[in-house]
This record gives sequence, C-alpha cells and structure tokens, in this order.
Amino acid sequence: MSLDAIPNGLREAIENDLQPVRPLHPVWLRTMLAVAILAVVLASVLAKASLRPDMDQLPMWLSWGCSVLQLAFGVLLIGLALREAVPGAGIPRGAVHVAAATALAVQILVGIATSVYSPAITMPGSGVTPGIGCLRHETVMALPTFIATLWLVFRALPLRAPTAGLLGGAGATVASDAVIHLLCPVANLSHVLVWHSGAVVVFMAIGWSAGAVWERLRWRRAP
Amino acid sequence: MAVDRHAEEQQLIALMIAYQKGDADAFSGLYEALKRPLIRYLWTFVRNQTTAEDLLQESFLQLHRARQTYTPPRPVRPWVYAITRHVALMHLRTMRRRKEIMPDEDLPEVPVPPEMDQLADRATVQRLLGALPRAAQEVLILHHLLGMSFEEVGAIVGISPGTAKVRAHRALKKVRQRVIEEGA
Repeated sequence: MSLDAIPNGLREAIENDLQPVRPLHPVWLRTMLAVAILAVVLASVLAKASLRPDMDQLPMWLSWGCSVLQLAFGVLLIGLALREAVPGAGIPRGAVHVAAATALAVQILVGIATSVYSPAITMPGSGVTPGIGCLRHETVMALPTFIATLWLVFRALPLRAPTAGLLGGAGATVASDAVIHLLCPVANLSHVLVWHSGAVVVFMAIGWSAGAVWERLRWRRAP
Repeated sequence: MAVDRHAEEQQLIALMIAYQKGDADAFSGLYEALKRPLIRYLWTFVRNQTTAEDLLQESFLQLHRARQTYTPPRPVRPWVYAITRHVALMHLRTMRRRKEIMPDEDLPEVPVPPEMDQLADRATVQRLLGALPRAAQEVLILHHLLGMSFEEVGAIVGISPGTAKVRAHRALKKVRQRVIEEGA
C-alpha cells in the first residue's frame, strides 16, 4: 500500500514529517511525575516550617487526617487533569463539575471543622496581612506542581484544554493546602474561606485561562 | 460480529503502533480503514460533502501532529473520533463567528442506522433523523451506524456511557413517535 491514494496536500504533509515518535506515557506515570515535584516542594516546606500552635489540641482526624485527605484529593485532581488531556479519554462533563465542586467543598469543610475544633484563634485572622501571607505561601508551594501539571497537560492534546487547566489548578492548590493546613496559625473561618479557598479558586481560574489561551494558539496554528 | 470488531480494533492498534514508528504504509492503512466512517461521522456536523472531505483531511493532519498522544494498547477509534470531533467543532465555531451558513441544497442524505430502516421509508427516516438535535444524531450515528459501544461513544463525546445510552434511546424513541404521528 502506498500514500498515492491519499489527497496530495495530506500526503505531502505526512511524507515531510514522518519521523518516529515516542508514545505518551500512561496517565498514572505522568501523574507520578507531577506528584514527585509536589512531594519535594511540600516535604522541603514541612522540614523547615513549624507546625500550627494549636496542633496538639486538634483531633488527629482534623490535623493530619484532613491533610492526608486534601493531599489525596489534590493528587486525584491532577490525575484527572492529565487524563482529560488525552484525546478520547476525557472525563464526563458531570464528573468535572463534581470534581471542581468537591475541591471547593473539601477546603470549606476543613476550614469550618478547624474553626470549630480549634481552642482559640491564635492570630487575628480577619486582617489582610496574614491573608496575603497565606496566599503567598500557597502560591509558592502550588506553583511548581501547577506548572508541571500544565506542561504535562499541554504536551498531550487536551480537547477541552480549559477544563484540564482548571482541574490541574485545583489539584495543585488543594494538595498544597494540605501542608498549609498544618502550618497556618489562623483558625478563623473567614481567613480560611477567603484566603485558603480563594487560592484554590484563583488557581482554577488561572488554569482555565491558560487552557483557553493554549487552545486558541494550538488550533489557530492548525493548517 | 463482536469477533470482527475485536479483530478490526487489533488491526487498527497494530497500524497505529507502526505509524508511530514512522511507517508510511501504516498511515495509508489507517486512512483506508477510517476515511469512510469518519466522513459519515463528519456529516452529522457539516452536512456538506466538500466541507466534510476538507475536514477529513484536516482531521488526519491533526491526527498526524498528535500521533504521540495515542498510548498503545488503548482502543484507536475513540482517540481518532475525539480528535475528528474537535476539528469539526472548531470548524463550526469559526463558521458561527463568520456567520456563514450552508446553502440548503448542499445538505446530503443523513445516514440511516440499520435498526431504523424498518421504521418507515428511507426518506422519512432521513428527514426525521435530520430534524433531531446534533447531539442526539451524533450518538445515534456513533452507536447504531458505526457500531461503537456506549463506553466508546462517551469517551468521544465527553459524556458518561449512561448518558450516551439515554441520549440514543431518547432519540430513537422520538423518531419512532414521529413516525407513528405522521402515520396516523
């Protein structure tokens, strides 16, 4: 069989670029790459920073338990983003909505539980200064994983790139907040809702926008 | 039939692996195996023979550019159809932006799935199918005409297999109802 039966324009395009390619690694392996970066960042922060002052008074399920839950859910979201990036393997729209809503719900519920169980507000939490501090820490911790996830997403061919970006942004921040939850001395609910959950929303929006820009550039270049 | 489908899928996987290794004949094999069903599928989006053929070429160019994103031994068809679908949707988006409309005389015959052939005469079924929303037509064509499983249809369209099944069932029911109404 030859390429003769194929229209000329297509045949020439194929003939001019037919070098072998290496297939994309499976989703779980690419997720592990993002998780490795996440683990290095979070472990280095945990090694240097001191735990929240009310750590001993919080029940185990709320301190380390919620942290592990957030970490696991963050990794799951990163995996979903990378799965969404592969054509023909995208996750159903309903599952995307559930994942995004659960990412926010996890943040909010952890915040509410912490404010209820924490014996005292150990720092004034309504101020902007501690909030900006938390947002900065969250950004610094989430950014490497977020960038790695987006890079892995865009190396595939996401057909709903904004959706993949949104899931990647949510995953990176929820996982990073697993450590912030162990460090942040402010248990005030408004602080957690505005600044911690706000960081998740901001990264989801950035991921969505990055996906939209990528999609426009990718398909504009299309012949 | 199921054995044939499995053998066909295995053949597509083998061709895809060879294509990723730079085999031009493998690309020809894929083109031959997929061009007809892809054209049928593209008709649900554009209903214009020339445009469908242009989109088919563009789809194969996109498949070529994205060939490393196929991971063996996953099924080839959901990967191919998902990219083709996206090419068609991007085309429709561009058309909408430019406010271009296809002339009516360019509308081709809507392919009729075998299950629907006995519902009424072919022209009636085609007309009723053509009147269905595109999302319903798409699921019907993929499942009933191109023989995809609802899992594959869901993966291509970005919905759950259950939703794909419900969508196909409702579309068939709607066509049947219209046939009965018109018969009455």
